[in-house]
Amino acid sequence: MESLCAIPFSVLQCPNLKLKKPSWIQQPSAMTVYRIVLVSYFLVTGGLIYDVIVEPPSVGQTTDENGNQKPVAFMPYRVNGQYIMEGLASSFLFTVGGLGFVILDKTNAPYMAKLNRLLLLMVGFACILLSFFMCRMFMRMKLPGYLQA
Amino acid sequence: MAGHRGKENSGTYDVSPHQNSGVLHQSTNDVPVYAELLADSSKSKLPKTNGGGDADEGMNTVLSTGAIKGLLAFTILFLACIVAFASRLFAVIRFESIIHEFDPWFNYRSTHHLVSTSFYDFLNWFDDRAWYPLGRIVGGTVYPGLMVTSGTIHTILNTLNIPVHIRDVCVFLAPLFSGLTSLAGFALTRELWDTSAGLMAACFLAIVPGYISRSVAGSYDNEGIAIFALLFTYYFWIKAVKTGSIAWAAGTALCYFYMVSAWGGYVFIINLIPLHVCVLLLMGRYSQRIYVAFCTFFILGTLLSMQIPFVGFQPVRTSEHMAAAGTFVLLQAYAFLKYVQDYLTKQEFRSLFFFGVTGAAGTVFLGVVFLTYAGYVAPWSGRFYSLYDTGYAKIHIPIIASVSEHQPTTWASFFFDLHVLSCSFPAGLWFVIKEINDERVFIILYAMSAAYFAGVMVRLMLTLTPVVCILASICLSKTLNEYLVDDTPKKEKNDDGEEVEEETEKKNRKLYDKVGARAGKVRKIKQEPEKDSEGTGSNLRGFVVVAIMMMLMMFAIHCTWVTSNAYSSPSIVLATYSDDGSRVILDDFREAYYWLRQNTDEYARVMSWWDYGYQIAGMANRTTLVDNNTWNNSHIALVGKAMSSTEPEAYKIMKMLDVDYVLVIFGGVIGFSGDDINKFLWMVRIAEGEHPQDIRESDYFTSNGEFRVDKGGAPTLLNCLMYKMCYYRFGEVQLDFRTPSGYDRTRGVEIGNKDISFEHLEEAYTTQNWLVRIYKVKDISNKEKVATPSKKSKKKKVTSRKTSKKRRGQIKNKPQIKKGVRKAKNSSKKKSTS
Repeated sequence: MESLCAIPFSVLQCPNLKLKKPSWIQQPSAMTVYRIVLVSYFLVTGGLIYDVIVEPPSVGQTTDENGNQKPVAFMPYRVNGQYIMEGLASSFLFTVGGLGFVILDKTNAPYMAKLNRLLLLMVGFACILLSFFMCRMFMRMKLPGYLQA
Repeated sequence: MAGHRGKENSGTYDVSPHQNSGVLHQSTNDVPVYAELLADSSKSKLPKTNGGGDADEGMNTVLSTGAIKGLLAFTILFLACIVAFASRLFAVIRFESIIHEFDPWFNYRSTHHLVSTSFYDFLNWFDDRAWYPLGRIVGGTVYPGLMVTSGTIHTILNTLNIPVHIRDVCVFLAPLFSGLTSLAGFALTRELWDTSAGLMAACFLAIVPGYISRSVAGSYDNEGIAIFALLFTYYFWIKAVKTGSIAWAAGTALCYFYMVSAWGGYVFIINLIPLHVCVLLLMGRYSQRIYVAFCTFFILGTLLSMQIPFVGFQPVRTSEHMAAAGTFVLLQAYAFLKYVQDYLTKQEFRSLFFFGVTGAAGTVFLGVVFLTYAGYVAPWSGRFYSLYDTGYAKIHIPIIASVSEHQPTTWASFFFDLHVLSCSFPAGLWFVIKEINDERVFIILYAMSAAYFAGVMVRLMLTLTPVVCILASICLSKTLNEYLVDDTPKKEKNDDGEEVEEETEKKNRKLYDKVGARAGKVRKIKQEPEKDSEGTGSNLRGFVVVAIMMMLMMFAIHCTWVTSNAYSSPSIVLATYSDDGSRVILDDFREAYYWLRQNTDEYARVMSWWDYGYQIAGMANRTTLVDNNTWNNSHIALVGKAMSSTEPEAYKIMKMLDVDYVLVIFGGVIGFSGDDINKFLWMVRIAEGEHPQDIRESDYFTSNGEFRVDKGGAPTLLNCLMYKMCYYRFGEVQLDFRTPSGYDRTRGVEIGNKDISFEHLEEAYTTQNWLVRIYKVKDISNKEKVATPSKKSKKKKVTSRKTSKKRRGQIKNKPQIKKGVRKAKNSSKKKSTS
């Protein structure tokens, strides 16, 4: 086998070639990956693809009984439709809720001052609750009959 | 417990198959005493790796602990299955045991055919009652897994002398399989994380609306069983990657075969698993196990998938499958280089390796591109292509863009289908990324790709839902783990993460809730003076736990509400609520279909928009021109052209297609928004795609670009066949004293063309609420009467005027003589005698 491989080299001379892996290619760290994932999650749940395809206005408009133009933040009664801003706002809440859980986990890191721990826990807790109840409120604005049988 | 997590798993960890599989029967002393957990929960964490647990305390309770844990897990899973089954029965209880929607009607019809004939008859079935002049080869254009599954269940039940109608088997198949799905979710999550997370995932999967939406009782569709097959395949794949055994890999291939037979979404698996392998290679996590698992799976899986007639040679001929083949070749190259490594120095090898692999990948890619270009490999089909280039379908394939479940997803759908899980999903992802190993790479890839696809199409929310349940259960399980289990006696915690918790299921959740809250208060009073410095106060922990419990309960309420209000309507029976709160059932669809069934010729051809094709075939048993299997775009475009052109033009098309009846759905009387006028623009668009010289979308808009049905509407619209059929005689009806006659409640306008008459059609039937209107297509009429004849008729008028002299008399009882008939007497006698 080895002699067979050596046949071409009896005629040819090996070029002095140095190939190096480009230095900018390196495995991204776990947190970089997570950041990318989180940002893309934020965009996808915000209905970015919907915004691109359907091209809704950023905020809706309606006319009230006096004939004045009034902005509407949420496209009511339609689960399959949205304005750009409402999508971004609620996906922001989803993300904040997710980060809340992460902070709650961080709270349990060893060797942390009591006050820090308490503050972290409060922040995480507030994030989760805030996002959860805001989402519910948004849903109520969108579907006024939500959770009312 | 199900331990073995974290960094120790990376790269070259040794394989111990019993480590993870035998969790339920584990009888070691690292398991906490369940009773203790309940009562005190202070000693619940006994480290396994140190082996320094309280051995003396454990020994006598070992057996009962293992048994209790097993029993508990079993009970929880059992209850999850029951809940999964029961919560999907709203529609059956409210209405009746009936097949829903559109596609299920076709599945039901073909299942019925399968049961009433044989399997081979079913595979060879040519359906001449669909796509009228063309027909449809059903056996070769259908994923038979669903029909075969329910046919098998039906046969087994009948062999056991349990006479169940095939319709009931079909109706209850999806709820049954969602119970199995939650089991598969448990198994998968247990492999990825631990048993408690698995139990939680099972509970989530049982009630999450994103999955219920496609699997309520009566929604007899491929997705119902496909999600089970999907999760089960992934479970086997994880197992195969973990153990590197051929048996598990072959099991993966078998599950994959079932998935291929059940749903077109199998393409997701055959792309995700190679992606997993590729990413593992990139991360430098190659091992013998992966090689064995993937090679076995790919070869067996490809061969098996080619056995399905509908799939046929696609696995080697289309681009969707080329990623797997490319990865296969790449893996071979990689393994070969690894082999060569033994004979080379490190320095040589490093460069050879890098460029070898890059070169191999490049060659594979170029090869695929070349084959595609040369025509050996079919390029991406439009349906898949539109997943990557999201604008593609909108511009090029209106028929794909027109399907409502192919619309892009809004935030409200995410919240509606996932609720609190959509918040905990990113956190679960974080936990998984933090402690990565081979199989968790898989779940991350699954999560990312599914999230993207769910964003593109509402329908693919279905594939996202399981992974969201899994990751959310990991997140919540871990959080509860830290906050329920009191760690005050210990200083370091969760470094080697061998925490044990059993409180993930719903039944006990409330129990823990109470105990935790109460114990928290009591303990606080007792412990506060001593334990100031460590941990957070148990009071606060209690708050966190209570809050999470509350959110989970709200999640359960939300799921029930969504299921009962949004996802449980059969859509062939409409229910409204009258002013006094009583329920009114509008059964117009079935009324019309039964009218067709009873009053028309057996071979009558019914033309309608494709949405209703399956229902007409299933319920009315009449031949249709187009149906929900939208395989022939030009045929659909022809029907769309007939609907959107004027009556004489449409009549030519209808005569060409031998149409006997035309059926339209009109919601203007009751305010039903899913009717044909609202879908009309799609008909125009699809027709325009094929007949751009006859139909132009812009003709149907006003000069301002609006689509209006009132007086301001475009004249082309007001005179097209669809408009006329929907609003025929509608102008005579005044529904309400506050509105003018001919007031369309769906659009909220008075219609523009009230004077509608037909030349070639006649109204055959209109249902009670005008929801379905059926028209009969008249035969080609006789030659028209000549209004002013140029020649006078030569025939003289004979008038008998008895008074006249030239009168012609008549003899009474004059015998009539027929010329050319002999023996008239005899024959008449015979007749009279006989």
